[in-house]
Amino acid sequence: MQWAVEERIGWFMIGEPPANAMTMEFFSAFGQWIDRVSADPSLKAVIIVGNGRHFSSGADLQELLENSSENLLLENSLNFARLGRLKIPVIAAIRGVCLGSAFELALWCHFRICAEDAVLGLPEASYNLMPGLGGIGHMTALAGKARGVELILRGATFLPAEAFEMDLVDAVVPKKDLCRLASDFAKALPENMIPGYRKLYIKKYLSKQNVVE
Amino acid sequence: MTLEPNGDIQYEVRESIAILTLSPPPGNYLKVPAFVAVSQFREWMSDERLKGLIIRGAGRNFSAGGDLPHLFAAMEEDDSAIETLMAEGGELLSILESLEIPVIAAINRVCFGGALELALACHIRVASENALLAFPEVNGNLMPGMGGTFRLPAVTGLFHSAGMILGGDTMNAAAAKEVGLIDHIAPRDEAFDYAWNLMVKMTGDRPVKVIRNIMSALRNSLCLAPDEALKQESRLFCELAWIESVRRKQEDGDAVGS
Repeated sequence: MQWAVEERIGWFMIGEPPANAMTMEFFSAFGQWIDRVSADPSLKAVIIVGNGRHFSSGADLQELLENSSENLLLENSLNFARLGRLKIPVIAAIRGVCLGSAFELALWCHFRICAEDAVLGLPEASYNLMPGLGGIGHMTALAGKARGVELILRGATFLPAEAFEMDLVDAVVPKKDLCRLASDFAKALPENMIPGYRKLYIKKYLSKQNVVE
Repeated sequence: MTLEPNGDIQYEVRESIAILTLSPPPGNYLKVPAFVAVSQFREWMSDERLKGLIIRGAGRNFSAGGDLPHLFAAMEEDDSAIETLMAEGGELLSILESLEIPVIAAINRVCFGGALELALACHIRVASENALLAFPEVNGNLMPGMGGTFRLPAVTGLFHSAGMILGGDTMNAAAAKEVGLIDHIAPRDEAFDYAWNLMVKMTGDRPVKVIRNIMSALRNSLCLAPDEALKQESRLFCELAWIESVRRKQEDGDAVGS
């Protein structure tokens, strides 16, 4: 992972391209990073983005199956939850593949801006597994119980337009504008967000220029 | 005056999917709020091989809801009876809602009152294009009493709920889909076939344990404190990971052996 701060906006870049798979090493680095970020009063917002063409393909399945322990997994889960509980805005800027644990990470963010080329979903059930990092709760809360249950049991993947329609992403933008729009949005947002105003912030501060949906 | 659950409810299991059929047609009235005794329902659902449950009505309609004349007659004998009856009905729907298998309501034509409360406790609602949904209780100076007043706004928002619960408005399938009250529209009178296909698509290829752990995590996310839900989720995930890990090793072993 890489971490850079520009004009008080922190950019968290996932992993090793092209797939940016979330390895054990990633999760441990994420834990150390969230410790630092939680204690950094100078930050105004955080943007999570994948290195290169993709957001991330999610957890490394083989590694996960070999090393699954309840404590380790819970630690990863609680670290994701700490991201969701940051007082400053956290924005996922999603392009390319964003599946499984990676989509779960995006769902912990306060806002999701998505490039037109993205592919999203929680396909774990297709591998006889389940989402394990809070994704089930988030997806059913946002898309509704019926649609959430259907998509998760089927292990379905979906496109940005469908995700937008289901409230799973907040805006769909052209790929070339993704990082710029995420950055503009981060700068415009108030530092002390009121969670209940989420929709209002999107309407007010997410530049309508170039937003496809 | 007897206040027994509907004796003629049909229950069957096909390909690991349970089917509960409300009867007798044409009204399929729920004789008492707990139209199936809680103990009977628990016994049916204790079959750990089940992958899903579909609830439908016998004949043309889903159900016209509670059998009010029956209830009022019972109250004439003992006016405290209604409290117990409603509590049992509420308990039945809570159990239904927190099952570890997906539950689909397959709604053809009429789905009123208590029947709509039943449908709202299901995870997914499929309605035929000629379905009609309503809470007519207010017309009889009553109100929904088995969770309808909070399960409806949870899916449609307060505005549309007010129209239905206070105004007694009837919704057709198209309007109900628009406000999120139903999730799928099936062709005329074909809610069951549609629900069946949907259930098979969701659960057919999945091991029972995967379905049950996912549905448990969903239930936990709704009723446990967030960190506790995450803790349970880690446990549920690891159960599946261990099973899958062993399965893969066996598969590899078989491949090497052959």
